[in-house]
Order: sequence, then C-alpha cells, then structure tokens
Amino acid sequence: MSPAAGKRPVDLSVSLAGIRLKNPVIAASGTFGYGTEYDGLAAEFGAVITKTVTLASRPGNAPPRLCETASGMLNSIGLANVGIDAFISGKLPALAGLDTAVIANIAGDRTDEYAALARRLDSAPGIAALEVNISCPNVNQGGSAFGADPAAAAAVTAAVRRVTGLPLIVKLTPNVSDIIPVARAVEAAGADALSLINTLFGMRIDIERRRPALGGVTGGLSGPAILPVALYHVHRAARAVSIPVIGLGGISSACDAIEFMLAGAAAVQIGTATFVEPGTVRAVTAGLEAYCLRHGLARASSITGRLLA
Amino acid sequence: MAGPDAWLLAFRSAAVARSAAPGQFLLVRPPDCSRAMLRRPISISDVSGDRVELLFRVAGAGTRSLAGLTPGRVIDIIGPLGSPFDIVPGPVRHIAVAGGIGIAPLRFLLRRIRARRLPVTLCYGCRTKRELVPHCAVDRIVATDNGSCGIRGLVTTALSRAVDSHPGAAVYACGPWPMLRETARICAERGLSCQVSLESRMACGVGACQGCAVKGTGSYLTVCKDGPVFDARTVDWDQEPPT
Ligand SMILES: Cc1cc2nc3c(=O)[nH]c(=O)nc-3n(C[C@H](O)[C@H](O)[C@H](O)COP(=O)(O)OP(=O)(O)OC[C@H]3O[C@@H](n4cnc5c(N)ncnc54)[C@H](O)[C@@H]3O)c2cc1C
Ligand SMILES: Cc1cc2nc3c(=O)[nH]c(=O)nc-3n(C[C@H](O)[C@H](O)[C@H](O)COP(=O)(O)O)c2cc1C
Ligand code: FES
Repeated sequence: MSPAAGKRPVDLSVSLAGIRLKNPVIAASGTFGYGTEYDGLAAEFGAVITKTVTLASRPGNAPPRLCETASGMLNSIGLANVGIDAFISGKLPALAGLDTAVIANIAGDRTDEYAALARRLDSAPGIAALEVNISCPNVNQGGSAFGADPAAAAAVTAAVRRVTGLPLIVKLTPNVSDIIPVARAVEAAGADALSLINTLFGMRIDIERRRPALGGVTGGLSGPAILPVALYHVHRAARAVSIPVIGLGGISSACDAIEFMLAGAAAVQIGTATFVEPGTVRAVTAGLEAYCLRHGLARASSITGRLLA
Repeated sequence: MAGPDAWLLAFRSAAVARSAAPGQFLLVRPPDCSRAMLRRPISISDVSGDRVELLFRVAGAGTRSLAGLTPGRVIDIIGPLGSPFDIVPGPVRHIAVAGGIGIAPLRFLLRRIRARRLPVTLCYGCRTKRELVPHCAVDRIVATDNGSCGIRGLVTTALSRAVDSHPGAAVYACGPWPMLRETARICAERGLSCQVSLESRMACGVGACQGCAVKGTGSYLTVCKDGPVFDARTVDWDQEPPT
C-alpha cells in the first residue's frame, strides 16, 4: 500500500477492521486536532483520528484545562469541538489531502445522537472508519458513562452499526472494575475493532487558592503514568474478544508500542507523547522496523499477540 | 542570571532568528524531563544576528531545570509559534507596558520599533529596583512597589500619565492579569489600540488540543494559535486568570 513498502525490508502495514494502514501507528483523538495543526506530520501516521465531534459545537470547559502531573497530565478540555456541520464542510476537505487514513471520532449525550452523527459521516467523503467515544456522560442513564455499562455500550454500538457501513472502532474507558464485559458486549453489538484506553479519571488541587487545579474540577489522566494500566486492560481485552484491539495510553517510544503489540494490540495510538515530541511517530515506526529485523520478522503485524505466556 | 529570579538564556539558531517576530514564543523542552514532561512556552525576548534570547523567571520544576543549563548545551525547542504583536502603522507613539517578567517579549518588540525609528515609551513596573532587567534603552517610566526606582506604585499609573501626554498612542502590554486588565480598561476608555500578550498552560502549542483556551468576548480563544497576542477588546476580562 505505502509507496515505500516495496523497498522496505520490513512490511509495516496492517489490516484492521477492513482498512489497510501503511503503518500501525495512529494519532489519538483530541491530541491531533483536525489533522492539519502539526504541519506535515499527519502523513507519518498510519491513520489520524480527529478530535471528538458532537452534533452541535461545544465551547469546552472553563480554564485552566491542563495540569501536569508526575509523568503525565490531566486535561479537562470538555469535548470542545466545531460540531458536525463545520467538521464536514470546514475540516474534512483538508483532511482528505493528508496522505493518511482518516478516522472520525464521535460522541453524543444520547444513543440517537451517536446514530445521527454516524449517518452524517456515512455519506461524507474521505472517512476510512469511525471511532465511537463511549466514555462521556450519558444523560439517558442518569449520569453514568456509556462505556461503564455493557448494555448501554452495546446499545450505542448497535445504533451506530444500523446506520453505517463504515468500519466501527469503539473506544473504551478504563474507569471500570472489569473491561471484559464491556468489550464483549460491544463486539457482539457489531464493533469491528476496539480502542483502549481513554483517560483515567483524576484530580489535583491548588492548595494556596484552595481550588481544583482544573476549571472542570476533575479531568482525564494521560501520558507515561498510565501505561501499565493501559497495557493491563489491552492484554485482558485482547484475550476476551476476537476483533482487533488498538492499544493506547502512555506510549512514547517504539519499545512501549511493542509491549502493547506483544500484549495483543494490532495497532497503537500516540497521544500525549506527540505534545512532548511531535516526532514520536517517526521514532516508533523506525523502532518497530528495527525490532522486526532483529527478531527476523518480515512484517510488523506478526508482533501482535506474540507474548509468551 | 538577569535579576534575583530572572534568567537570560541565549542560543544560536539561524532558523528561529530569521522567522521570529516580537510576541511569538518557543516551546522549550525542560532538560530534566523526569520532573517536567511537557514543553514550557517561553517568549522570544530578543534576536540579533542568529543569537536568540529567552528571559524567564523560575516558577517551578520546568523553568528551574532550564535555569540549570550550562553553556554549550543544546536545547530542544519548537517554534517560533503564535501570532505576534502587530506594530501599528502611522505617526503614533508606541507605548509598551511591562509588569515584572512581562518585559520578556517587549524587549524584542522595542528593538523592532526602534529599528523603524518610531517614537516609543516603555512603562515598566517591578516590585523593586533589583528586579528590573536589561532592555534596549528607550524613553521609559519605571514604577516599583516600594519606590526604590522611578515612581512608587503601579505601572498602570505610569501608563495613564503616558497616554494622557500622547493622545492616540498604540499600547502593547505583557504582565500579570490584573495589570493587563487595567491596561485594557485605560485604553478602552480612551479609544486606544491595545495589544496584550496572555499566558496559559499549554500542551501542543499549535492549536491541536484546545488546552490553552481563554475566554474571548465571543468564543474561547487559543493562546498558542489565536494568541498569545490579542487585541484587548477581544478578551473577556471578567474571567478568572487562566493560569
Ligand atoms: C506564550 C507564553 C509566553 C511565556 N513567556 C514567558 C517568558 O518569556 N518568561 C517567563 O518567565 N515565563 C513565560 N511564560 C510563563 C511560563 O511558561 C511558565 O512560567 C512556565 O511554563 C512554568 O513552568 P514551571 O515548570 O517552571 O512551573 P510549574 O511547576 O508548571 O508551575 C509553577 C507556577 O506557574 C504557573 N504556570 C504553569 N504554567 C504556566 C504558563 N504556561 N503560563 C503562566 N503560568 C504558568 C502554575 O500555575 C504555577 O503557579 C510564558 C507563558 C506563555 C503562555
Ligand atoms: C488534551 C487531550 C484531549 C483529548 N481529547 C479526546 C477526545 O476528544 N476524544 C477521545 O476519544 N479521547 C480524547 N483524549 C484521550 C486520548 O485520545 C487518549 O485516549 C489518552 O490520552 C491516552 O493516550 P496517551 O497517554 O497516549 O495520551 C484526549 C487526551 C488529551 C490528553
Ligand atoms: S496548547 Fe494545544 S491548543 Fe493551545
């Protein structure tokens, strides 16, 4: 697929949920805007996942929205986004020219909002797949999250599945006592792949001002601090379902990415590490290639699930 | 060291020097990244030839590790980023208003204004004389909290006097939020052009994460991409200071 594939000693391409990616390294939703903000970087990724889009635009939470923590960061962006109309008319055209697969991430407050978004994107040009973000509050369910309840997670997945033929990736939250029932419910409802993990709930306090450090009071923890938690969930989920799992959470090097792939991930996403070093994607693809050469593997996809028990 | 808490970091970069405009910033990777992971935004404080200067105050782990850099080390930067000050055309007096370390981006602005031989005044407020840091010599009014240098009191008092003796002046400000808010008010009252450089915590620095948002009079504005320099009339001055 990729122009360089023929010349490479190692084939980095992967097939996932019916789409072919030139490499298994994907930009995580919310950390890569609408694909064009990091000049020229999108083409380095196998795919780019856009910021969560909702039906109506959302302004986002009150500042401060960021707070660094030990080996990580908290964010309370609050799904600030342009809304589906402006996404399709204003953002998609530029995304189409990026020389990477474009995956649109969607979220709603109710099941029917997810379906409405999927219907709109189904007919929009240039989208390779949908990533369904089910870790935001569910007003139907009295404030719990779709992603924390297997039945609600399955209902959203099924509603989206009914209205679109696009490959469906469902993004799971780690804020559950057991991820397996949610993973299985989503698979049964028609998901083609899973992404995990989204951020962990977290909080810091400014003790001098006696205020929460974040305007949104609580936030989502990301970065190297969450890697072991993410790997734990990916390892378990990959064994519990037969659809591909995309691993993310704290990945900042090829070694980190290889751990996720050995644990069963078919591909990985990079989020926070891009902020710290935009070239992380390049280092990860180069390191994957070197690892394959060192281990005599012709293709990166054969790393997936090779963990010895 | 450029004062009790202020550090001057100079390095060579032809690429930065060539494209930098006053008001733009760099995202600097703290050299001891075990204590500070994210890059820190620091204004470009001066450029001459291919020498670039940063002027910063130690605020926490990230800036402390920058202050620990020894000569000859390589620093990891991204930029120049953000939208710069716009030097107002026409025969007006330019007034720069600096509060504390807010002098940092204004040093570069003053250099560019002087290079165009435009009339300029600096109103520079600090807690004490010891905190004043070097800048290009221009017509200036200094204000210190204790009167150890210049007038005793707030820099915005100095600004009021300056704008009253220079009707139609263009104002450029960087400093603590209350100073910027008062500067914006003084200028709005007199119908003067006022550009402010704002601060906010950042992650991406390129408009991708929405993490640095501040409230504008309409929607949220990103400090990294829409700013850091804003027309003061577009900022909602009633919000909590964003940092
Ligand atoms: C566009 C821009 C330009 C800047 N230019 C300069 C400059 O030229 N010189 C300079 O000394 N400082 C500048 N700052 C502020 C500087 O970025 C912060 O002081 C620095 O990020 C603090 O990092 P730290 O790890 O040392 O402190 P931390 O431990 O992260 O924080 C210490 C304290 O500083 C506050 N803080 C954290 N991040 C920021 C931030 N981004 N802006 C303001 N306060 C913050 C925190 O709330 C806390 O109270 C600029 C900020 C912006 C947004
Ligand atoms: C600033 C920021 C914004 C995010 N926004 C979204 C979002 O809109 N939708 C989403 O599904 N995940 C979002 N995430 C979560 C990331 O996609 C990712 O799941 C998480 O950060 C863990 O990966 P990382 O440690 O590599 O960053 C966001 C993360 C960050 C740091
Ligand atoms: S720091 Fe990411 S949008 Fe400004």
